[in-house]
Amino acid sequence: MPSYLSNINGKNDLGNNYIYWSIFLIFLLIGLLSPLILGRYQLLNLSNHIINIFLGLSLCLIWGYCGILSLGQSLFLGLGGYTYGVVGINLIETHENTHLAVFFGILVPVFFSLVLGYFMFFARLKGVYVAILMLVVSLLFETFLNQTAGPGWFIGKAHLGGNNGLGRFSGVTREPPSLIFSFGDNSIEFVGSSIQFYYLCFGLALITFLALRFLVNSNFGYKMIAIREDIDRTEALGHNIKLIQLIIFCIGAGLASFSGILYVSWGNFITPDTFGVYNNILPVIWVAVAGRKSITAALLGSFFISWISQWLNEQGDFALVALGTILLSSMLLAPEGLIVKATKIFPLKLIK
Amino acid sequence: MNDLSSYVGLIYQYADTVSFLTLSALGLIIIFGMMGVINLAHGEMMMVGAYITSFSFYSGIPIIISVILGGLGTAIVGIFLERLIIRRFYGQLLSSLVATWGLSLLLSQGALLVFGPQIKTVPTPLGSFSVGDLSFSNYRIFLFIISIALIIGVWSIFNWTSFGLQARATMENPKMAKALGVNINRIYALTFGLGAGLAGIAGGLFALTATIGPFYGQSYTPQAFITVVVGGVANIFTGLLGSAFSLAAVKTAFVSQYNVLMGHVSMLIVAIITIRMMPEGISHWLEQRKD
Repeated sequence: MPSYLSNINGKNDLGNNYIYWSIFLIFLLIGLLSPLILGRYQLLNLSNHIINIFLGLSLCLIWGYCGILSLGQSLFLGLGGYTYGVVGINLIETHENTHLAVFFGILVPVFFSLVLGYFMFFARLKGVYVAILMLVVSLLFETFLNQTAGPGWFIGKAHLGGNNGLGRFSGVTREPPSLIFSFGDNSIEFVGSSIQFYYLCFGLALITFLALRFLVNSNFGYKMIAIREDIDRTEALGHNIKLIQLIIFCIGAGLASFSGILYVSWGNFITPDTFGVYNNILPVIWVAVAGRKSITAALLGSFFISWISQWLNEQGDFALVALGTILLSSMLLAPEGLIVKATKIFPLKLIK
Repeated sequence: MNDLSSYVGLIYQYADTVSFLTLSALGLIIIFGMMGVINLAHGEMMMVGAYITSFSFYSGIPIIISVILGGLGTAIVGIFLERLIIRRFYGQLLSSLVATWGLSLLLSQGALLVFGPQIKTVPTPLGSFSVGDLSFSNYRIFLFIISIALIIGVWSIFNWTSFGLQARATMENPKMAKALGVNINRIYALTFGLGAGLAGIAGGLFALTATIGPFYGQSYTPQAFITVVVGGVANIFTGLLGSAFSLAAVKTAFVSQYNVLMGHVSMLIVAIITIRMMPEGISHWLEQRKD
């Protein structure tokens, strides 16, 4: 392996030996081949679960690796989604692609996290406060967007639509567009239920996963982990902890915004519920139950637990009670996370 | 509308906001001051208090006793949850935050499954008075008095009883308190019970002015969180009062000038600016001035 890639195979994740990569290859093959056997509806759902991965990974990165718990991480998903939707609705007719919508869909959440993060980290705010403030800010966005049903709430051609949100339910004719990329005269549209969209999400998730493994095993990654383990000692050793926290927080916001953009272009709608309590507690459940200190565990957790919770929703009203029980019991029985615990119970040596 | 009634209106609104913030944050700040844990199931504790109050009221118990029963019942629920779950997360602040959030999900969704989306509301007692052409509810005035009385009551418990002495010692230095023979597990459980009980009383008191459902408490918690964050816990009482009185002033001004949403936004912005200047909250800032 070339030396500049060796970071991908470092020690700061669940595994790095040939067993780990063989399992990885099996998952990769299943992921690549499953669209060939699945129906349209199953594919649509599968894409949705993959979309959740970015949100889960963003929380895993800031909480599991840097010790910054955010109880309002879905805030960035919502901001990204709404921005993508608003810009997309306004520009789709003139531009016939969504390049700018994607650009602003990432830029706005990252900029917002920069401002908010500056106030929080440069004030050396306690972790508990950061967690709570994020939730409060997210809930405030929910309240704000819920009261935008009136005729005055237009941004260009996009009507914010109150609690119906952006999209076909809000009564305006235009809904947020699907992703369209154009190169010269050619353009590709990624409709939410299509195979192309699935492969787009899958490829993006794969790249993100490898990039995050690279990040957490880099020099910078070790600094993040040092902050998680002992913030005062890390600062005493001369590291600029506030800046590192701020950078990680912004990267997390950017990752969460991927979920937002993909989600809006997948279903062509977004509602203020995105900023609400349940959409914020879900990523916490995925990451805490699977194992917050591992990129691999968080990825699998986001995907499979959101699959399970969808299945539970179809079974009856007790879905959220069941999820709450899963969260509490796994925190009591396996504080490090179920997937991390499982690799320790079964004698499976994944680390070189 | 004449001048007098609009002034009375403003003062009334201010007092109402102060009692809203102090009542909903009192139980929260006690638990936070003691254990450093922000209890995310706080809103659900209020919900439990409101449910017990409503059920007792409709089984024929006088309303004041119903509210007290709501407080006691919630305190027992709180102690039970502390023994069962919360105590396993001491020393891991962020995990305890997540655990209490899981608890909150479980309690609110459980209540939804068992009791449905809404239960019977309790009528607001005490009637109203009017100044000029505006009319005001007497009960809101009563709430303000009660909130001050509760704070004085809790202050007395912490300063004049042996439980209070042991609790303050545990808050100051748990290891030393333990070495000197304080049963700190008991103190933690009782403090958690006290915090939950106060949330239950607040829930019961507000239940007389609102519709009660499984998510009843969630409309109070964000503002309670802001109050606690701005107040800080260097001193629970100066923190709570300082933060409630100043936040209420900002909120009242913005609500009367613009609308309720701007009131919430203004509180949040003030909170973010305050913590940038005094990260440990108003109480810490005041304590520093004292020396």
